[in-house]
Amino acid sequence: MSGAGNREAVFPTRQSLGLMKSKLKGAQTGHDLLKRKNVSEVIYHDPILPGISSYEITEITRRIDEAKRKMGRVMQIAAFSLAEVTYAVGGDIGYQVQESAKSARFRVRTKQENVSGVFLPAFESYTTDGNNDFGLTGLGKGGQQVQRCRETYARAVETLVELASLQTAFVILDEVIKVVNRRVNAIISEHVIIPRTENTIKYINSELDELDREEFFRLKKVQNKKQRDTAAQDAEMRLKRDAAEKAEAASGSTSSDKENELGTGDILGESEDADVIF
Amino acid sequence: MEGLFFNVNNGYIEGIVRGYRNGLLTGQNYNNLTQCETIDDLKLQLGPAYGDFLASLPPNPSTSTLAEKTTDKLIAEFRYVRANAVGALAKFMDYLTYGYMIDNVALLITGTLHERDTRELLERCHPLGWFETMPVLCVATNIEELYNSVLIETPLAPYFKGSLSHQDLDELNIEIVRNTLYKNYLEDFNNFVNTDPDMAGTPTAEVMTEILEFEADRRAINITLNSFGTDLSKTDRKKLYPSFGRLYPEGSYMLSRAEDVEGVRLAVEGVSDYKTYFDAAGMGQSSAGAGNMSGGTGGDGKSLEDLFYQKEMEISKSAFTRQFSFAIVYAWVKLREQEIRNITWIAECIAQNQKERIGNYISVF
Repeated sequence: MSGAGNREAVFPTRQSLGLMKSKLKGAQTGHDLLKRKNVSEVIYHDPILPGISSYEITEITRRIDEAKRKMGRVMQIAAFSLAEVTYAVGGDIGYQVQESAKSARFRVRTKQENVSGVFLPAFESYTTDGNNDFGLTGLGKGGQQVQRCRETYARAVETLVELASLQTAFVILDEVIKVVNRRVNAIISEHVIIPRTENTIKYINSELDELDREEFFRLKKVQNKKQRDTAAQDAEMRLKRDAAEKAEAASGSTSSDKENELGTGDILGESEDADVIF
Repeated sequence: MEGLFFNVNNGYIEGIVRGYRNGLLTGQNYNNLTQCETIDDLKLQLGPAYGDFLASLPPNPSTSTLAEKTTDKLIAEFRYVRANAVGALAKFMDYLTYGYMIDNVALLITGTLHERDTRELLERCHPLGWFETMPVLCVATNIEELYNSVLIETPLAPYFKGSLSHQDLDELNIEIVRNTLYKNYLEDFNNFVNTDPDMAGTPTAEVMTEILEFEADRRAINITLNSFGTDLSKTDRKKLYPSFGRLYPEGSYMLSRAEDVEGVRLAVEGVSDYKTYFDAAGMGQSSAGAGNMSGGTGGDGKSLEDLFYQKEMEISKSAFTRQFSFAIVYAWVKLREQEIRNITWIAECIAQNQKERIGNYISVF
């Protein structure tokens, strides 16, 4: 029963039994928690785990890094083109631009992308044609700078959209990976740790029972022996008494006395041995 | 002859303004400014010229507050000069402010059109364009009311009259309204300096005509260039050209027909100055990069607008070579404005760490 494979290598003692019991309890609580917290029960029962490898994450991190650097550059150019506008127009055009913009020219649409079993939202930017709300701003002077500034900022926003898309993907993938890890942990604890601990406990219990039984048997044996010894002594005593009676009656031989004394010595020796075993 | 009595009324003002002109930053000053590593350094360098006005700035101020404070100095000086001006010079200086008023009124009209609280806009208005009845503009809640009862009371009323109705304010793009007003203003200003008995035939008229003609041409060319690719029709565009200037009438007519940069180049062919600018800015031959200030990311030659600014500064500078003229006041204001733009530009370059284009300012002294 306590076959070599599926149990932990422990000495079957009461102490390790206690340890194992607390370990089992911990594993069960953890497992329950993992199961309860599981975000998507559906995927949990899916036998095939989505294969998110670290490759995808590295790839996305790399692209985020790139996009962020690009954003830094583009934003700098954009801010500078605004400075050019201020220089050329010689005033603040912010209010006018705000007021004359009626509908968004730069728009974002979302679509879903399937990356190894996970749906990631991807943002896609596009500009609507013929929507030029403040095309006349700076007509008197600085108009070209205004238009150029707008183009630069449109590029900057494009980069931001790209970055947003990547970061969303990253967050979602990260979440998925966490879920997968949790799920793996749950499965490991369900199928490996708990049975193993249970096996160990069973093994320890059986070993301890075995010891108990051996002990009991030995005790019985000792008892039997003692009873036998007592019976023998009793018989001897009786014999002695009979012999004494006989000697009294007809002054018996000394040789038989000597033999009796030797036998008594042997019996004492045996009983001492038993004592040592105890 | 005009010199005989000029100083009776205007001698003090002329002295003051010439003094102010000497206070303008020189090429040497600009050189020092461009060497600055931080805005604080810049502030320190500006100390002698702007001391009091920059004193209240926090360490490392933003470029916009820097521009604000330097403008404050211009305003303070302008107000002082205006307070001391009498007669024709006072009127002349009022005319000078009308240009800023147009911007302010356009701003308030935009606010009213979009039913915003125009009171907030008052502080965004250019202080030079402030006039007494301006806060009243905020009372009007719709365009008709604004047009009929409020705008009529402003100094700009003549510019609205005859060319813009209240429906126009509602329907036309505010930029068209602004440029129509500006066209009327330029024509009126030109008329004023050439017909006012105190100015006609004096150096004032001479210099101011040159400045205003240049301004008119510049606007016409800019409007044409900027209208490419927008829904501004050619007939509407034609209405925005001032009816004087060196391009008027043939050049203006050709501008109104122009469909691309090449057309504009042909239109200005008759005036050698502008032709030179077009060639220098590399426009006409190559259609790309129309008028970007120094071509933005590509090319480091001067753009058309840069060249125009440069020319304006040259004219303003030479205005000081004439005596007994009001034009120096105008020239001084323009020079100071350019100086503020230069400072802002340099500050912006320093703040954004784009030193390679820091030399893009225009300095004529």
